[in-house]
Amino acid sequence: MDPIFVQGRAPGPRLMGAVNWRGLWTLYLKEVRRFLNVFTQTLMAPVITTLLFLAIFALALGGAGRQVVGVPYIEFLAPGLIMMTMMQNSFANTSSSILIAKVQGNIVDVLMPPLSAGELTLGIAAGGVTRGLMVGVAAGLAMWIFVPLRLHDPAVLLFHAVNASLMLSLLGLIGGIWSEKFDHIAAVTNFVITPFSFLSGTFYSIQRLPETWQIVAHFNPFFYLIDGIRYGFIGRADSVIALGLVVVPAVNVLLWLVAHRMFATGYRLKP
Amino acid sequence: MQPLAATTPVPRSYGPVNWRGVYALYQRETVRFFRYAAETLGAPTVSAVIFLAVFHLALSGEDPRPGISLSAFIGPGIVMFMMAHAAFEGGSIPMLFHKMEGMITDVISAPLTPLEMLAGYVLPATTSAMTVGAVVLGLVAIFVDLPLHSVTAIIGFAFAASLLMALLGLVVGIWAERWDGYSAVETFLVAPLGFLSGAFFPVDNLPETMRWLFHVNPIFQAVEGFRYGFIGQAQTSLVLAASVLAGMSLILGLIAWRMLAVGYRIKP
Repeated sequence: MDPIFVQGRAPGPRLMGAVNWRGLWTLYLKEVRRFLNVFTQTLMAPVITTLLFLAIFALALGGAGRQVVGVPYIEFLAPGLIMMTMMQNSFANTSSSILIAKVQGNIVDVLMPPLSAGELTLGIAAGGVTRGLMVGVAAGLAMWIFVPLRLHDPAVLLFHAVNASLMLSLLGLIGGIWSEKFDHIAAVTNFVITPFSFLSGTFYSIQRLPETWQIVAHFNPFFYLIDGIRYGFIGRADSVIALGLVVVPAVNVLLWLVAHRMFATGYRLKP
Repeated sequence: MQPLAATTPVPRSYGPVNWRGVYALYQRETVRFFRYAAETLGAPTVSAVIFLAVFHLALSGEDPRPGISLSAFIGPGIVMFMMAHAAFEGGSIPMLFHKMEGMITDVISAPLTPLEMLAGYVLPATTSAMTVGAVVLGLVAIFVDLPLHSVTAIIGFAFAASLLMALLGLVVGIWAERWDGYSAVETFLVAPLGFLSGAFFPVDNLPETMRWLFHVNPIFQAVEGFRYGFIGQAQTSLVLAASVLAGMSLILGLIAWRMLAVGYRIKP
């Protein structure tokens, strides 16, 4: 018989190894099921929006004959659009998850279980990355019907897809923890994330910008993401591709540390 | 002082229209709009500037029609796009929100006829959409050298389009039972209507076979009419545009009015 019952003691805490794998997996599943439950809004809507942007630019000014940096404009545009929608959805997933839980009070269900700050960060961010990648794949497949997409360098492509989703998931996490009302996160989305995702070279080569703005663009991490994924598809980049491979993970490490710290101290999470 | 007679109070009498009630509803939604100005007014303004910048950077130097710059062509299109979207949101979100939160009972139990309720929801949405239009237009005018052809066409089509989209919003707001329904209509109907309205590109480039698709889109008619007010040319006849907008508004108005009168998805 189980010694606990024999000796009549209270059960001891369940033993976990260094990582609470089961808790982490449960948190991750919760995050994924949360967005899959409303997949029309979280997966189909972004795909439709992306296709509409593609249509506009394809139709605009007799688009077919246009060339940008030596490739047809539509092939130049498609990778940027895929990246843009991945970024917006990763951000939306983690920020809304955290903020809704905070506003409704069910954040305690996430904070009370034996999950460390690292596990919380990983579980929630992984949910956002999953949504970003799923939206990206769906948008890519939908575009492939209309645009001949090439795969120049799948490794670089995957690297930037995962890192972009992670970067925006972490930003969403930080934004969600910082926000106290829906107004706050709406402001961040409208005034920071949307402008940056639109103006980081999705629709044009930054060579069209004035000299000073080209330099400014290199300080914008979103620029490397869009430039990098475009390189993965069409094999041509505005910046040095190796620079992106360094800058992007560095930004992610920094954001991860901030998010981890927020969970560890309970900033705006714990009373 | 004589004690008042203990009779039940007589119902307050109104003229044929409960003006005060309509005004109270109107005021409530308008106050809500301005209280959340950062989202309701700020977001479309920022989006408009982003669109303008993106189109300018991506496509500048290619005039859509001889003598008309790309910015002068797209500027009015962006204003109309933002206005139509704001009108749809303003018509649908308050109704859906009131239904989901149960506050709709306050409106139903008030002495308002269905037509007065209709006005109380649609007019504030129209006003706020036109406010969005005015602000976005003011901002676009800073960056773009906009010609001016006909103020009547500008105001007329701005009003007609806002009214139409507010009515569509109200019908959707009454019909939808959860946010899912609302966002499905927004994604699969309103966004395509707005993006594929010729707001951002001239439809003369399209093959003949596709063009009819645009002509049945009321937002296309609104964009062309509104743009005519600036550049003085349109891809459609103004009479046709005005008739399409008025006719569709009438149909949607009748639907919304019937819905409110029978209490479809509003009354238990």
